[in-house]
This record gives sequence, structure tokens and C-alpha cells, in this order.
Amino acid sequence: MEKILEVKDLELSFHTFAGEVKAIRGVNFDLLKGETLAIVGESGSGKSVTTKSIMRLLPEHSSEFKNGEILFNGKDLTKLTDKEMQKIRGKDISMIFQDPMTSLNPTMPIGKQIMEPILKHRKVSKSEARKVSIDLLRLVGMPKPEARMKQYPHQFSGGQRQRIVIAIALACNPQILIADEPTTALDVTIQAQILELMKDLQKKIDTSIIFITHDLGVVANVADRVAVMYGGRIVEIGTVDEIFYNPQHPYTWGLLSSMPSLDTAEEKLYAIPGTPPDLLHPPKGDAFALRSDYALKIDLEEAPPFFKISDTHYAATWLLHPNAPQVEPPVAIVERMKKYPGSRYYEGTEGGAY
Amino acid sequence: MSQDIQKIPADSFERVHIDSSQAERITKPSLSFWQDAWLRIRKNKAAIVSMFILLFIIIMSFVGPMISPHDAETQTLTHANLPPKVPGLEKLGIMDGYGTLAGKEVDLYELKKVDTYYWFGTDGLGRDMFSRVWKGTQVSLFIAFAAALIDMVIGVAYGGISGYYGGRVDDIMQRIVEILIGIPTLVIVILMILFMEPGVTAIIIAITITGWIGMSRVVRAQVLKYKNQEFVLASRTLGASNGRIISKHILPNILGIIIINTMFTIPGAIFFEAFLSFIGLGLQPPAASLGTLINDGNKVLQFQPHILLYPSLILSLLMIAFNLLGDGLRDALDPKMKD
Amino acid sequence: MAEKLLEIKNLKQYFNQGKPNEVRAVDDVSFDIYKGETLGLVGESGCGKSTTGRTIIRLYDATDGEVIYDGVNVHDKKSKKDLKTFNQKMQMIFQDPYASLNPRMKVLDIIAEGLDIHGLVKNPKERKERVVELLETVGLNREHADRYAHEFSGGQRQRLGIARALAVNPEFIIADEPISALDVSIQAQVVNLLKELQKEKGLTYLFIAHDLSMVKYISDRIGVMYFGKLVELAPAEDLYNNPLHPYTQSLLSAIPLPDPNYERTRVRKSYDPSVHNYQDGEEVTMREITPGHFVYCSEKEYVALKAVSSARV
Repeated sequence: MEKILEVKDLELSFHTFAGEVKAIRGVNFDLLKGETLAIVGESGSGKSVTTKSIMRLLPEHSSEFKNGEILFNGKDLTKLTDKEMQKIRGKDISMIFQDPMTSLNPTMPIGKQIMEPILKHRKVSKSEARKVSIDLLRLVGMPKPEARMKQYPHQFSGGQRQRIVIAIALACNPQILIADEPTTALDVTIQAQILELMKDLQKKIDTSIIFITHDLGVVANVADRVAVMYGGRIVEIGTVDEIFYNPQHPYTWGLLSSMPSLDTAEEKLYAIPGTPPDLLHPPKGDAFALRSDYALKIDLEEAPPFFKISDTHYAATWLLHPNAPQVEPPVAIVERMKKYPGSRYYEGTEGGAY
Repeated sequence: MSQDIQKIPADSFERVHIDSSQAERITKPSLSFWQDAWLRIRKNKAAIVSMFILLFIIIMSFVGPMISPHDAETQTLTHANLPPKVPGLEKLGIMDGYGTLAGKEVDLYELKKVDTYYWFGTDGLGRDMFSRVWKGTQVSLFIAFAAALIDMVIGVAYGGISGYYGGRVDDIMQRIVEILIGIPTLVIVILMILFMEPGVTAIIIAITITGWIGMSRVVRAQVLKYKNQEFVLASRTLGASNGRIISKHILPNILGIIIINTMFTIPGAIFFEAFLSFIGLGLQPPAASLGTLINDGNKVLQFQPHILLYPSLILSLLMIAFNLLGDGLRDALDPKMKD
Repeated sequence: MAEKLLEIKNLKQYFNQGKPNEVRAVDDVSFDIYKGETLGLVGESGCGKSTTGRTIIRLYDATDGEVIYDGVNVHDKKSKKDLKTFNQKMQMIFQDPYASLNPRMKVLDIIAEGLDIHGLVKNPKERKERVVELLETVGLNREHADRYAHEFSGGQRQRLGIARALAVNPEFIIADEPISALDVSIQAQVVNLLKELQKEKGLTYLFIAHDLSMVKYISDRIGVMYFGKLVELAPAEDLYNNPLHPYTQSLLSAIPLPDPNYERTRVRKSYDPSVHNYQDGEEVTMREITPGHFVYCSEKEYVALKAVSSARV
């Protein structure tokens, strides 16, 4: 499939009062046309910073691109001028934020807010823009869109507001939609509606989505591919089935097994010990080693490169090195691997690798 | 890349056990809020310079009148209207005692047969300006600090009670404030001066009679914010009394804001005092404050500019320094308020 | 089942009562909590679950109804001494690990606050030893006592909040969304700790949350709230396998699970309150369908539900 966005060796630092925070320490990924790539990770893992750097939304005085490039249609976004970037933002790449209340202007009717990007990026008349806006509202499932154009954000519920935000983001048929925890502030039933809407819309308008979340349930629901971030790096990337049924990185193991499943009653949940690394002084070697039960000597010396598991599946852990010892993943992970053809624990009839 | 990977010795792939108790360690040095604030303010050059200027002015306001050979009140009519003359500097052609007399530059000290030095010159009654300026600074600062302190005490108490108890108490107290704020300050001050003898006490009362309202509003808003914070609720579920909650939880958290607000009240009070004295509602002669000195100097600005120069210079320095220090404190104590 | 520790009877909490903007945050809710169990309370934001918890622990004065703890109504006007004993028995863990610890106090003083209020220690040395003991209970250590809250991570802070609640040796702890603000990997740490403590000290929990998978994991019984009312109360397994109220069904069908195959087939049900079609004068109340499984329903629905669940068995 066609690559629409390539992030190569991205490194980015923040200059703070306390010193240089290395928020992104070498991130590589591609975004294919029409797919949904989910980026998961804990707070401070660099998932939000990565996407904000794609949009160039980070404060210029305190953030610095140290290395790498972000290629969008052959253009390196890190090198564009602010003016050029403004033309891309909201038109080719648009973004949905976590809090629908603060991403809408409370003093402007929502119709005007949807029309704004249309008038700015497309050369259309006001009445034409109005028509497009009404169509957009209808598209995101807003009943009686004509009447609601004149209403203000506070007259809508949280879920409806997020629908409006999505309508604004889609106003110019963007090629990439970045959704930064779009459902975290919503209740589960509303979250389910918004996720359905986003999947539905993606089929209709064929845009690529980067979906940032910390909720693995949401990832399993929306993603085609998943990138797991930890300590400013991607530690594992693969298709949704590969990540959920054949994970290879100990951090992914930890994440997946620390969530209780609805049907099994484990006596004790698996908990990753300790706390995420302080990126002001990033640890030497593998950032996760200090919290891992599977740490190797070399983890403390050198950061692991990506090892290939399949054409779509890569993980950065020394455990995949041919000289590394064979380790037994946590029980919950073995249970998951049993379902996946190609994993060494596969119990199906199609025949696994082992 | 793959070449390098193959070369890694096999023994580096031994499994190691990480002591997970290490994961809970905090490596950063422990800093209290005030230590942290001090580190931040130390980086703010303007605030540090202001702090030294203020310290210098405050010390001088006490020491100044003492180190001058002349008394602030003694009138030596023969020495009237002398320009500044400073030993050492006189050789450089500035502050050498020269002044214009009938359009000509002459050494006034020689003319009037004065063989001592008046560092800031003298006024129309022959009083030493150096002593008078510092004495006046002392009075102005006293008024300002006293007023700020009273503002703080009343404001914190009033705002605190209003915010903490809320409900009907809050309603009534806020209506009273609204009535008070509706009356122009100057009207109150003029009434005050009519009933009271003009003097330091009258001015302090005049400044504080409505001055505390600003502080009370800030404190009320802060108390309203903090009283529903979870750590206060936690303390309540532990059975803490109101007194304990206020003194241990709410006050320490709003102390920063109180300090910042007071830092901005002080220059306000200095300026208001100067203003009152300047329009003649403040201190009466022979008492000196920066305001009365400026008032005196203003009258003879064309002939004796030095009489106006020094008090206004100090007033300006005080105002700028207090404001810069206040800004610095605000950034240090309440980083969120910056934007 | 074990003896009742807490009985909540017809609890009501109305804000701005009698004014046009009256909010019925908790509207006639009754349930019991048994000694040593964990009762989960779930619902969406604004359904009144947190208000219920806060009213039980007297952070709000109830508009009406009774909270009977060990046979005594805690909402009666009582002497200071009685209130203190009550405060010692019932404690709370809060949601926001950043707002629930006083930023100007050292960990030592935060945790020792309950000890000071109730006079549980005699001298500073004993106080410090007790705090260190509590820190070790929650997986921290002596070094942490002299630090300030802002130096800790979210999960560590939440454990400090637990240590503070444990300081007074409570019997009953209300955990108000204690893990909602934490990262997934840290949530498990806190939940494990809560479970361990329960086993060790025989604690009873009221666990308030909106994350249903964690609630199911930690709770023995679960109550579902919808707009100030308790709509279903059942043993955890029973509620998940056999939800009876249409709102519970819709809530359960909306949870995404970390299992792509399940997600591809999950069908979401939506809840429309008008399906009940309650008539005027019809008495809608909590009725027991199967033993221990209560549903908020009318007489007519009761008969229908009873028929459905007996058919299932």
C-alpha cells in the first residue's frame, strides 16, 4: 500500500527549567493510505508529542527537533515555514483533541466554527460553505443539522461536541486525521458511539487515522496497526492481531497482562513494577529494562535495535537476538499466543512454527 | 547494523535480575515549595537587582539621617537653597555646589560662605535635603508597610471567613464589600481628613479603609478553590477541625498568593500616600514624606531642580523595584499565573 | 452472607433543593454492604455514584434517608466524640492523585495527619515509626517520608493516599475512582495493593469507578447507577453474565476489550429509557429477581424478568 506519511529517526527535546527533556528519542514509523495506526503508551511515553510534532503544534521556543524527518507527500514537515505549515494544518492533516469542551470556541456558533476551515482552505462562497457544513453535521450523525448550526457549544452534550469537533476536522477532507485520546473524556456508551462513527467515516472518506490512546480496548476496536511507545521510543509495531496475540516485547506483555479480562478471574493482576523513566535523565540501554522481569545484561548497556518478526511486525528487544535465551512470557500472554497461528504456543490445527 | 549485532558476545545475553525496590527510588533532591521558589527567583535577574535596591533604600532610610552631619529639621536660613555638593565628586564638575544665580553659573557655597557639604543640597529653609529625603523615605515606607500589613490582616480574615463558611455568611459579607467599593476612595479620604488630624495615622486609615478589599477578594477566590480540593476533603474525612484545615491546609497553600498580592499593595500604598501628600491632604509640614518633599520641590522646579529630583528618584526606584520583585515572586511562587 | 456493616436506606442528596436548578444527584437509593466484601458502584459521569460515596462519609449532609453503620445512623446529630470514632472507622481514597495530597506538606505529615487528629501516637519517634510502617505497607520506604508529594509519580501518590487512609485503622474504605487517573500498568499495582490489604486487614470496600473491567475484577457485588438511581445490584459474575436491566446491558455491551477478535463481533446495544413505558401510579422499585440479584423495575417488568431468568436456569 501507498505510504502517506513517513517519520524517520525523529528526535525531539524540550528545554525546561530543569534541563533538556528528551521526549522523543528516535521514532520511526510509516502511515499507509486508508489505515488506522494506533499509538499506545503511558503518559510521558512521547505518544502525544510525536503527533504534535507532526502538526508542529509544540511551543517553538522550548522544543527543538534534534534529528530526523517527517515526510508528508515528499515534503519534510520539520523544515517548512510557519506559513506553509498553516496551509497543511486543517487541510491535509487535521487533529481531534481529548477535551471537546476546550477545543471549541464557546462564544461562536458551531456552524461558523465548521465553516471557518472550509472558507479558509477551499475557495468556495459562504452559502456553499454553509451547505457543506450542514452535510458534515449530517455525516457525523447530528440530528436536525440546519437548526443546530446557530447553536453554541454549551448547548450540546459531551458526545455531540466531539461529533462537532470531528466534523470540523473533516471539513477539508484531510488525508490524515490525528486523534489524540478523542474518547478518553467520554463515558463508555458515548465512547462506543464515537468510535463507531470514526470507523464508519473512515470507510466513507478514505482518510488515514493516527489514533493515540492508552486504552488497549479502544485500540483493539479501531486499529489496523499498533505502535507501542515507551520512554520516547517505539518498542513494538505490528498489525493489531500481531500485537494482541503474538506480542514480543516485555513491555507489551506487561501492558496486556495488567488488564483484567472480563471472563477470567485471576487471583492477582500482573503489575509492571516501578514507574516510567524520567526523560530528563533517560536510562542507558533499554529504558524498560529496569522494570522488566526479562532484563538481559546487554539491556543495561545498549538500546536494542528493531528485530523483524514478520514483514509487518517489529520489536525492539534483545530477547529476539539469536543468542538470547528463550523466555516464557506471562501466563496471560501465553493464553493469547495460543490463538495466533505462527506463534510458538499456537494450539490450533493450522500448524504453527513450532 | 546486522554485522554489529552478530558480534555481541554471548554472555551479554545472560538474564539479570533487577531489584524492583530500586524502581521506587527518587533520585531528585528533595525540595520544599519555598526552596524551589527560591531557586526560580534566583534566576530572575530583575527581581534580584530589585531586591538589593530595596534593601539599600530601606537601610539608607534608617542610616541616612544619621550619617549626614546635618539634622533634618534644623533650619539654617543662611544656608537656604544650596545645590548639592559632594566631596570627591566636586572635582569632576558635577555636584560641585555651582548653581545659577541671576543667569550666571556661580559657586553658591563660596558666595554664601558655607564651608560644609550638603550632599543633596538644601531647601528654601536651609534644611539638609539628604537627611530630609531619607527621613521622608522612612515615613513613606512606614506608612506603606503598615497599610499593607493591615490590608493583609483584614483582607485575609474577611476573605477567608467569607470563602470558607460560604452560603449566607458569604452572601452578606460580599454585599457589604460591594457597598464599600461603590463609594469613591477619595470621598472617604477627604471625609477622614476632615474628622481626623492630618498625619501618619490618618493616612494609614485612609489607605486601608478600602484597600483590604482587593486582598479579601483574592483570598476568598483562593479559599473557595482550595476548600473543595481533595486533600482538604481527605482531611475532613479524617475528622480534622475547621481550625486545623485552615491553618494546615488552606493557609500554607494560599500564602504565596497573599505574599504576591502584598508585594503589589506596598507600592500602591507608597504612591497613594505620595499622591495624598502632593495634593495637600497628607502629612503637614514640618513632617516629611516623599510626597510632601515632591510637593515642595514641584513649586521651585525651575530654580532648584535638585529639591524635586532626589525624592522623585527614590519614589520611582521604589515603585519599579517593588513591582519587578512582585513580578518575580509571582513567577516563582505561582508559575501557573504567568500566562 | 456475612453480617451487614452498612445499610443505606432511601438516601437522597438534592442540590439547590426547591430552586429551579434543583439537581437530584442521588435519588432514593438503598443498599447494604456486608462485612469484608467489596461493593462496586458503576455508572457514567453525573450518575451520582461519587455523590453517594461522599454523602455516606458525611462530606455532604444528606437531604433525606439514613446511613446506618454498625447499627448507628451516622447522619444523626452526634457528639464530637462519636463523630471522631466514626471518622476513624470509615475512610476514603480519592480520585485525583495530584489534588489529593497537600503540596505544602511532607509525606510524613500527610500520612500522620490521622494519627495526630485522633491522638494515636504519643511522641514524634513513635509517629515516625508508624508512618514508615504504613509506607512499607504500601510498597514505599523510609526515604520517602521526608519528601514532598510533587516528587512522586501518580501511582506512588495514590499509594500515599491509601497509606493516609490506613493510618487510623479503618474498617470500611470508600475508594472514589482510585485508578481512573492512572496509567494502565500502574492501575494494576494499586488494585493489587487494595486486594492484598483487604485480605490482610479484613477491610470492607465501596469501590466507585467507571472502568467496568477493573470493577468486575475487584468487586464481589456490583451496583449500577443511572441518573441518581440504583438500577441493578447483583453479584459481580451474575451481573456480567446475566445483566437484566436494559441500561446495564447497554453499558456492558459498550466496553471495548483488548481482544481484536471479540471487538470485531461485539454488538453494541443502546438504551432508551422510554422502553419501560411506566404508567402513572405504577410502583417502580428494587425487586429481587433471583437471589441477590436486584433490578429497579415495575411489577409488570418483574414478572417478565422473573420468567426470563427462570427460563435461563
